[in-house]
Amino acid sequence: MKAARRLLEAHTGLVLFFLYAPILVLVVYSFNEAKLNVVWKGFTLEWYARVWTDTGLVRSLQNSLMVAAITTVFSVALGTGGAWLLFRYRYPGERLLQTLVFLPMIVPEVILGVSLLILFVVVRLELGFTTVVISHVTFCFPFVLAAVEARLAGMDPALEEAALDLGATPFVAFHKVIVPYLMPAIASGALMAFTLSLDDVIVTYFTASAASRTLPLEMFGRVKKGVDPSLNAISTVFIGATILAVLTTQLLNRRGALTAPATQGGEKP
Amino acid sequence: MRVFTIGSAPARGMLAALTALALGTWAHPTVAADAPSELNLFAWSEYIPTSVIEGFEKESGIKVNYEEYASNEEMLAKLVSGASKYDLLQPSEYTVEALIKEDRLQPLDKSKLPNLKNVEAWYTTQAHDSGLKYSVPYMSGTVGIVVNKEKVKEPVTGYDDVFKDAHKGRIVVLDDAVEIVTWAMATQGKGPAQVNSENVAATRPVLERWLPLVKVYDSDSPKTALLNGDVDIGIVWSGEGAILVNEAPEKFQYILPKEGAHMFIDSLAIPKDAPHPEAAHAFIDYLLRPEVSRKISEEFPYTNPNVGARKLLSDKERNNEASYPKGSPRLEIFRDMGPTAVEIDELFTDVKAKSAS
Amino acid sequence: MRQADTAFESASGNRRAPRLTAYLLLTPLLVWVMAFVVAPALIILVYSFGERQVLGGVTLGFSLRSWARVGDPIYLAILWRSVEYAGITTLICLVVGYPVAFVVGRASERHRPLLLTLVMIPFWTSFLIRTYAWVTILKSEGLLNSLLLQLSWISEPIEMMYTPFAVIIGLVYTFVPFMILPIYGSVEKLDASLIEAALDLGAGPWRAFWKVILPLTRPGISAGVLLVFVPALGLYAVNDILGGGRVDMIGNVIENQFKGTARNWPFGAALGTALLGAFALAFWLTRRPGRADRAAG
Repeated sequence: MKAARRLLEAHTGLVLFFLYAPILVLVVYSFNEAKLNVVWKGFTLEWYARVWTDTGLVRSLQNSLMVAAITTVFSVALGTGGAWLLFRYRYPGERLLQTLVFLPMIVPEVILGVSLLILFVVVRLELGFTTVVISHVTFCFPFVLAAVEARLAGMDPALEEAALDLGATPFVAFHKVIVPYLMPAIASGALMAFTLSLDDVIVTYFTASAASRTLPLEMFGRVKKGVDPSLNAISTVFIGATILAVLTTQLLNRRGALTAPATQGGEKP
Repeated sequence: MRVFTIGSAPARGMLAALTALALGTWAHPTVAADAPSELNLFAWSEYIPTSVIEGFEKESGIKVNYEEYASNEEMLAKLVSGASKYDLLQPSEYTVEALIKEDRLQPLDKSKLPNLKNVEAWYTTQAHDSGLKYSVPYMSGTVGIVVNKEKVKEPVTGYDDVFKDAHKGRIVVLDDAVEIVTWAMATQGKGPAQVNSENVAATRPVLERWLPLVKVYDSDSPKTALLNGDVDIGIVWSGEGAILVNEAPEKFQYILPKEGAHMFIDSLAIPKDAPHPEAAHAFIDYLLRPEVSRKISEEFPYTNPNVGARKLLSDKERNNEASYPKGSPRLEIFRDMGPTAVEIDELFTDVKAKSAS
Repeated sequence: MRQADTAFESASGNRRAPRLTAYLLLTPLLVWVMAFVVAPALIILVYSFGERQVLGGVTLGFSLRSWARVGDPIYLAILWRSVEYAGITTLICLVVGYPVAFVVGRASERHRPLLLTLVMIPFWTSFLIRTYAWVTILKSEGLLNSLLLQLSWISEPIEMMYTPFAVIIGLVYTFVPFMILPIYGSVEKLDASLIEAALDLGAGPWRAFWKVILPLTRPGISAGVLLVFVPALGLYAVNDILGGGRVDMIGNVIENQFKGTARNWPFGAALGTALLGAFALAFWLTRRPGRADRAAG
């Protein structure tokens, strides 16, 4: 069993290396002197200096984060609520709804983008943040729903029953029992939604206005001039900040867990 | 009650933070007020340098909203949907022609464009918009052959020299059906103005010979494969060619094919329903100033139609043959090809699918 | 799995007929799906019967011209190729991702969110920058070739860029987190005592995995397969950058109808509708009512 565990951990290490290898390359090349970021020329910090003054990049990064954050919240609400209701109750036409929910995943982005654009024009919704968020939620929430559904599958029904027997209303039972039980799936769904939203180009192009440009749009636009290392620099700054934030949260949580043990979690199963 | 402890605090914290971020940012959406001193610019991505836009904003007090697109068709898709009203577009010549045919552009008021005199005479006589009634050339360029001289030793003068068995798997071309089909037509002695069903169909055997030799199709950044040494020869935009030549003049050479090269003219035009045509005219005229136009050349080594700006270029820039070809090569512009474009797309997809394997 | 079966039986027996509140609660999802999934899908369906306009866009009408082209063997062959690529990608993602999901899901509770986030962070950079980083690694004068040459494992550079190999690498890279995350959700809830019990009864690790763990995590696997296979089918940008666009995927063809010079929206719409229809049918048939992916739970 120990050997098996070792093997699994080694495999995980390798996969993490695979995931981070390009990121490492990207970080290294953010220090590349060459404007055409293809061949290594020499070390420089110039691109970092430039990123701060590049209003286009900074503003689009802000837009991206904002859109991704709002999208995640809506996707989690729609996806979790939807998955629970579809699991708990027997609705007529449920299978049809299940199928429809996942259509945005298969539809090619350009079609989703164009059709949503037409829709927004028809209902006279002005292009901007709202339209971008709507379209992002549309292709993100199925991911949350699928993750939560998988977690719900085979859930012990006694769980909710027990809470209801103890006199909790279905809402309280959902909030206090089901949501905590689903949390790992909700978290992974949220991560997927956030990531997908942060990375989308085509749907965003069709549904954004000049003021709501996102970072990927900005980056794709720059390919024509050659991908210069300032794009790597801003990615590096962002990744660095994220890792730092995650580690800090981790540390804070550990401390929190020590002082106030296990009100919500933190206990080993 | 093990279950109660499963919900992980960090995950909850993350969600809470996201909610806070979402609500916080939701509170102040950007207001798109329809002030008179605005210009809604819809142009190619990054094609108009930030310094130029800032210079114009400062001088005129007009705020420029720059929305970007990556191809003429992307621009048209958003334009025809009617989702937003734009003041100024940046279509290429064949798109200008289509827009004029569909009555989508408004005639320019030349009294507001004194700097139009800087534009080279050749550009005022082209068929897509003869006399420049609706459009002003912004930058132009060609499609030509780039050769890595270290790898390709024999002379290259035309399309047929590129598509040779010796270069199999070492070729990059634009990922553009219309381009490739018109190159094939050129080898059969037909220019882009002769695009019709019959002539397009006649290129099939040429494409069947060419496409299996190609390694990379890339319209966005064909220079990458050449720079990386993954291919040795290619047919690319002159801007890409110029960047390669600037990067390594001893290695790369840009050649205009002898059968006739395609020339594109990226232009500026005002849509019929533009809310701020005054501002659009002011911006066009600003871009036509030699010292402003020169800045654009600095960022994009295409052919500058602005004679005044060309005088301000450095010798190195002027001598880059990808930007300013020597002699008088045969240059032809694309025309709007209407429904034939569908046939070209179908033919190309078909031959490409059969060449792979 | 007698026990699990009874659990499932009672689970499905416990699914209630919805009352008014339950309908009300479902409204947001229903409205969203009607407004932003069904309505756009209908627009596309209507467009597929229209006629192409000069500037793009569609003249509405009832023409079967676009649909007649959809059945053309060229496009069927292209669709089949996309299915193959998506299938291989899904399989590799499953084999590569499952053990990772397992390790993360069985890690101490404190570390799980950290590990999960670590898996996802690389994807918070732009797709474009990530993919160009792969170009830097895979090109003939690239990092991987240099490394292999240095180690004398190869004597001359291997051609990796612009091959199906590069495309698959890129696809697996893009999608492996979408396999790991849903499986994690299933692994995380595995009861440790159940696994121990299996081992105590003399089952080797392999048998315990095959007979106990795998069936219990099947819902996560099917969710992962769904989340990888389906989007992989439509993705073409990886194919363009790492594969050099030498072969078309169905996504390329559809994209070209809207963003290429053909400007043939009705044909693009017809291809898109066909793809949607095929997916919906497959999905409908595999999710038999009641059972479906809940079965093995």
